[in-house]
Amino acid sequence: MRDDFGNVWAYRAKWTYTLLVVCALMTPVFYTVYVSFNEHGFGAAKYDFTLDWYRVVLGDPQLTRALVWTGYLAGGAVLAAVPMGLLAAKLYKRTRHKVAFVTLMLAPLFVPGDILGSALLVYFKNLNGACERLGDSLGVDWFDGWFELGFATALIGQVLWTLPYAFVVILITMSRYREQQTEAARACGATAWQAFWHVEFPQIRVGVFSACSFVLILSFNEYPRTNLLKGGFDTFTGVLISQMLNTGMSPESYAMGGMVSSVSILVVGSILIFTLARAERLERRLRAQQQPLGSD
Amino acid sequence: MVLFFAVPVALTLVWSVFERTMFWMEPGFTLFAYENFFTSARFENFLNAMVHSAVSVVVCFALGFPVAVFVRRRVPTVAQHRVILLFLLPFMISELIRLFSLRPVLGRTGVVNGVLETVYNAAAGLLNGVHTGLTGRPGPLLDAPFEPLSVILYTPLGVIIGEVLTFLPFMVFAGFLAMEAVQGYVFELCDDLGAGPLRTFFDVVVPLAAPGIFAGAVFVFVNGLGGGLIPDVLGGPGAVNAGLIVLDSITALDFPLAMAISAIMMLTLTLLLYLGHRLFDLTKVLEPIR
Repeated sequence: MRDDFGNVWAYRAKWTYTLLVVCALMTPVFYTVYVSFNEHGFGAAKYDFTLDWYRVVLGDPQLTRALVWTGYLAGGAVLAAVPMGLLAAKLYKRTRHKVAFVTLMLAPLFVPGDILGSALLVYFKNLNGACERLGDSLGVDWFDGWFELGFATALIGQVLWTLPYAFVVILITMSRYREQQTEAARACGATAWQAFWHVEFPQIRVGVFSACSFVLILSFNEYPRTNLLKGGFDTFTGVLISQMLNTGMSPESYAMGGMVSSVSILVVGSILIFTLARAERLERRLRAQQQPLGSD
Repeated sequence: MVLFFAVPVALTLVWSVFERTMFWMEPGFTLFAYENFFTSARFENFLNAMVHSAVSVVVCFALGFPVAVFVRRRVPTVAQHRVILLFLLPFMISELIRLFSLRPVLGRTGVVNGVLETVYNAAAGLLNGVHTGLTGRPGPLLDAPFEPLSVILYTPLGVIIGEVLTFLPFMVFAGFLAMEAVQGYVFELCDDLGAGPLRTFFDVVVPLAAPGIFAGAVFVFVNGLGGGLIPDVLGGPGAVNAGLIVLDSITALDFPLAMAISAIMMLTLTLLLYLGHRLFDLTKVLEPIR
């Protein structure tokens, strides 16, 4: 769809510019990965390929423990945020107060992590106190420590951060779905759950899966909120940051950075390939269906 | 959402007027935290950070919005989303990693300086060679050895570079969504009426896409102001913004102060969004997902 009146070279120049911007955004990341494979670390004159630094990282019990925690958190965030996003998107379709609803859902995106993290920190501390007082006055200790900083609070922070993304991604795929299909299914005698699971879900599946991967990656990479709310355990990025700010960069930190980015790249890359392949297939099927019509 | 987002954020206002105790705070009413904020160097730093953020917004817009316009207008509709996905990729890699990897790239011995040095040496060699060829004696031009740029890391400029690189994808997304409001025929119309590309851009495209641009700008501005990580990693000594001040006051166990700054941030955000809503009707941005 080139501009008929435009200059071919201007068009190419604009493409080049677009790709340059992407490159500028990506270069630092690839450079880190590149450095992480160097036996001599950053700034060395010699470059010898090695996987040793990754072995060091994976052999460090503190780091592997952090990695496991990060994995738990990411899993928890997916399990919590994606169904919530799905429900929210369905609710959004029904609600009358669309603007208010969407503002509330997307507002956490606009609040910087440190600010929301510290607000939640104080909130949890207060809630904890309130719970304890409630428990004391009732004479039970059942309420104690509900909002003690730890896995649950960190998870709440992460869900707040990832839910808007899950919501938007699912909503976008849902906008292609026509509500009449559900009505038709219900009219044919399907229960609400059957109508959702057999009719609607297959059509929004791509959205749900991309929401899962979004949430997974966002949670894996998240630092400011988790750091404030996590209580007593370390996450991978947390260890990385404290290393970076306190002891300086070591070849290990490069390897850790490399690992984090390659996880993201792998997940996003596979999703991209999967969706593109699927889109291609759908398109081909569509074309095949249209052919007889056109030949008529 | 209400329980864990709206309530704590609103309560920051309440907590900010509580009285500070040794390790915590107790209910009361005092504006001491605000006084502490507005009369100390913190306020100055806050304003500085605002300036940095504003500069980042402008740079992001200048770099990112043309990309959005180009993709929307010239790239085939089927391919548009794929190109936008290209911008998704850097965004999906942790902000943290990208900031962290900027350190070796921007540092004195980093990639940028390495490239500059090579270019400089080549240019010096070429110039001197030409000079020698022309005059028969070694040239005095560009004799000085290469001096690595040190203003791009651990300086305000470093912070701005970090903010731009972190938030540029968001600007591209926002611009892309905003361009939904600008139909293709608008460009043809402008062409037919004889408006040049610059005039078309500033007088027609920007006003039409204003809601989306504004949403993107607010996002970049507020996150630039509140994300404590960027100045921490790239800013060097003395670089702070609101997020970092909050973190520091929490470390110092001055919770009312932290809450006061959070409240100020939230008020700024609300004010900006409200202004934007009055000016451009931000609900237009949501049109595509209606």
